[in-house]
Amino acid sequence: MMSEDGWYPVALADDIEPGTSTGTRLFGRELVVWRDITGHSHVWEDRCPHRGMRLSFGFVRGSSIACLYHGWQFDAGGRCRYIPAHPKLDVPASIAVERFASAERLGIIWVFSGDPSGAGTPPGGNAETMPVRSLSVNAPAISTVAALMKEASLLVEAGASGPLLMLQACGEPVYIAVQPTGAQETTLHVVVEPGSDRQKVSLWAEALRHTLEAEPTRSGVTA
Amino acid sequence: MTGLVLHDFELDEGCYKVRLLLAALHVPHLRSAVNMVPGGEQTRPPLLLLNPLGTLPILEDGAGDDTVVLRDAEAILAYLAVRYDAARRWLPDEPKAFGQVMMWMTFASRDLHAAVLARRHAMFEEIVDGAAMTSAARRAFRVMDDHMTMRRLDGDVWFVGKGPTLADLALFPSFALSRDFSIDHEAYPALRRWMRRVRSIPGFTTMPGIPDYH
Ligand code: FES
Repeated sequence: MMSEDGWYPVALADDIEPGTSTGTRLFGRELVVWRDITGHSHVWEDRCPHRGMRLSFGFVRGSSIACLYHGWQFDAGGRCRYIPAHPKLDVPASIAVERFASAERLGIIWVFSGDPSGAGTPPGGNAETMPVRSLSVNAPAISTVAALMKEASLLVEAGASGPLLMLQACGEPVYIAVQPTGAQETTLHVVVEPGSDRQKVSLWAEALRHTLEAEPTRSGVTA
Repeated sequence: MTGLVLHDFELDEGCYKVRLLLAALHVPHLRSAVNMVPGGEQTRPPLLLLNPLGTLPILEDGAGDDTVVLRDAEAILAYLAVRYDAARRWLPDEPKAFGQVMMWMTFASRDLHAAVLARRHAMFEEIVDGAAMTSAARRAFRVMDDHMTMRRLDGDVWFVGKGPTLADLALFPSFALSRDFSIDHEAYPALRRWMRRVRSIPGFTTMPGIPDYH
């Protein structure tokens, strides 16, 4: 679906509570991330097949997501199952939302960009983590990653395409998953090992964002 | 008129703040609908005599010479809390919490004014620099999101203290309505979570632009 195949982070698992949804972007493409009440997370194209409105503006009902505009409801398989204006209609299977392969690992929701048959699993192994925060940075992903490496000592670059870094920062090992949100925007998803000082890491991340946005290499976008 | 009267425009976020508190406190009141857009009724007498600034909301409370007349949402919120919330949950007496609520109320009226103007620009074609206002609104939302991120890590869910206060009500509308001026909620996870909590306050009401899911 996007420029480079691979797994990319789209949200901290903890930030998508059961029964809620949010919009996000990957390489500028709009996605909806939602969690049904049974606890499963889903990453779909953020586009209602009816009139193309964003599904992330809608709401989760049980194990379906409903569009805000005319109430079309989609089951976990992406199929439209209910159209309020035609309550008796057996909705054709062709009315469905595009879904993407997704998985949760390290307390992060990942989506696979590319042919899902070669997806495998997201980077990072099965380590237990605690969420710190997601952080939007007004800078391209490439310069953000480059600046990150200067700011903290790299412990492990997990995953071949490198959307997950493990750094030593403010005395704590910190995982940072890098989401190339848009051309000039990057979202960093920060998690730590259990027992770490999360407040300290969060403040470190805020300071980091300040440094990243002050980088002269970024192409003149303001907050 | 006697009793409590809110001079109100349904689409105005300042008026909405007051409606939220009145609903949470269950205070009986009258709502006098003002044609703010397109009419500009608040900029002419008789409303202009109540508020020479020509803005909404305006609150009147009482009768005759003793009538209290107040303008500006944050001032009205503070008055209503002291007057009608005997338990002082919404505007705590305790000095630290009081100071923090006042700090966020000031933020709501000063720093979020950019969000108000950005929205009026988008919805009512008010002539302001929409792009500059939107950028300023993003900066303000980021300050709020950073604060609520820290609060969550400390195990708290409200802007100040252990329960909802005027700070939450004063800050809620501009963020909840930000899609009206093309700022999505995606970059503010801590505020999304907080917004759901605000929606669960007993008596919570919506306004156009804030969907009612149920
Ligand atoms: S646009 Fe989604 S139901 Fe109409």
